[in-house]
Amino acid sequence: MDSAEKSANPASSDVQRRVDGLQLQYIHSIDDGPLDHWPGFFTDQCLYTIIARDNVERGQDLGVMRFESAAMLRDRATATQHAAVFAPRTIRHILSTSLLDRVDANGIHARTNVAIYQTSPDGDTNLLVTAQYRDWIVDTGGELKFREKRVVYDTFRLPDSVVYPL
Amino acid sequence: MGSSQSNDSETVARDSDVFAGIPSTRIPLKIYQEPDVYAAELQRIFYGPTWNYVGLEAEVPNEGDFRRTFIGEREVLMVRKAGGSVSVIENRCAHRGSQICQAQFGNTGSSLTCPYHQWTYDFDGKLLGMPYRRGIKGKGGMPADFDMAAHSLTSLRTTLLNGVIFASFHPDPPSFADYLGDKMMHYFTRVFDGRPLRLVGYQRQVIDCNWKLQMENLKDPYHAGILHLFLVSFGYFRLDQKSACYVDDSKGHSVLMTERGSEEGNEDTGGVNIADPDFTLSDQTLVQPRKEFPDDVTLAIQTLFPTLIIQAQTNTLATRYVIPKGPRSHELVWTFFGYEDDDEGMTTARLRQANLMGAAGYVTLDDAEALEFSQQGLEGAAEDATAVLEIGGKGAESNDHLVTESLIRGFYIRYRDIMGFERVT
Repeated sequence: MDSAEKSANPASSDVQRRVDGLQLQYIHSIDDGPLDHWPGFFTDQCLYTIIARDNVERGQDLGVMRFESAAMLRDRATATQHAAVFAPRTIRHILSTSLLDRVDANGIHARTNVAIYQTSPDGDTNLLVTAQYRDWIVDTGGELKFREKRVVYDTFRLPDSVVYPL
Repeated sequence: MGSSQSNDSETVARDSDVFAGIPSTRIPLKIYQEPDVYAAELQRIFYGPTWNYVGLEAEVPNEGDFRRTFIGEREVLMVRKAGGSVSVIENRCAHRGSQICQAQFGNTGSSLTCPYHQWTYDFDGKLLGMPYRRGIKGKGGMPADFDMAAHSLTSLRTTLLNGVIFASFHPDPPSFADYLGDKMMHYFTRVFDGRPLRLVGYQRQVIDCNWKLQMENLKDPYHAGILHLFLVSFGYFRLDQKSACYVDDSKGHSVLMTERGSEEGNEDTGGVNIADPDFTLSDQTLVQPRKEFPDDVTLAIQTLFPTLIIQAQTNTLATRYVIPKGPRSHELVWTFFGYEDDDEGMTTARLRQANLMGAAGYVTLDDAEALEFSQQGLEGAAEDATAVLEIGGKGAESNDHLVTESLIRGFYIRYRDIMGFERVT
């Protein structure tokens, strides 16, 4: 659908509102925690990956995280909270509204720009990455969930570690 | 290449020798901070008689393909030449010193041209020509006696072995086989066995600590069953697994290895909590290895002096290359690979198991964090402050266990030697 049609269609502006709401809830589950809520944003079978844009462009699937089920996401949330050693930090996502590329019976395909900042225990805030969410969102009984969330990051020289999901 | 070669036999004066009177079991914390030590390392190690990792042949499959990387702080290009061989040349124009290629990867056709004044070179670095060499209508241009042959790009000595490319700025490095030695060659060719390689993808991260701390971490099996709570809590690593660590004759290279499923069933874990029963992965596919090597080794980490790490942890195969960025920072480039004949299942296993490794890895995330804690901790330490390395004794020998810092002690035998510092007695 072109953008003129989209803005004139009340149903699509409703979809836009729901997608933007989903993204906001999603980032706050990471920024404000607890991280146990994060896997709930995904369908049981899903793909979550954080991948460098240059890998995507070269056709390589290697990500810094790559999970294929909500169970794998729960494992990550557990390990991050109980079985990892890292300096405490605060994460802050700054989002754009989502660009809906395709809305059909299979779900919603959307792109969302995101800047993610990280604050150290000493209080220094630095850019962690700029990235784009490339999402496939499905309606599961009235609730939107991510069937796929690909966090494609530009900042291919990552500053230090990626502790939390993005 | 100028006057940058070190002279291995030249030692530093005693009053500026940070290792004067220091035993094998101590490391002066100054060497992780001092700009003078760092500058000497660049000359004596990175531009000295060492072999430095450049990349995998599979990264530049076609004629004219290049990849840009670093040796020390000097940028080099790995370029695929006509006829199939690969050359390594410095990415610095002989005219005014400009960087020639800006992209990380690309294809440059049949020659290299500097964007600033279009001086053009072949893939061995030979200067082919420049605009207005003869001037315009007899005015300007280069003098008649300008020697084209004397203005090539710096071309490095290059070794290609089973798909891996190494280079040296030094005009007369040892042969690569001698540099590695038999034991290290055995483990190198375990992974790089001659089968064509397939790239799986890259990760890069900047870690704010001295490059040597990164290398030490891969020579320090002592931390593995302690720091890495993921492995410990979920029961994937125990120091009582069958294991070994090896050093080569020069002491600069090393291998550490374990075999999974070889625990002897005793509970002597040296006081470290292991395998918390509350932790089990709800999705086990992440840690299901596929056997792919003839032996039972599930983890083999090889370090080659100065800055290459070759990782074979179950099915994640990767080179980790350390690029120094001043005394207090380095970049870590992870190149994950498999083999050209991998089936889809193996590729999936490699992608999945990569969750253990890299900038967000269940295991290596802890490493990057601990390394920054190290640098933070040693900053501003007293002039004579040292690190202590007495786990496993004082020597630098191979062992049939991992409760030892002998590989780190070995690294400093090699380091003190090449740096011209007082040798370990």
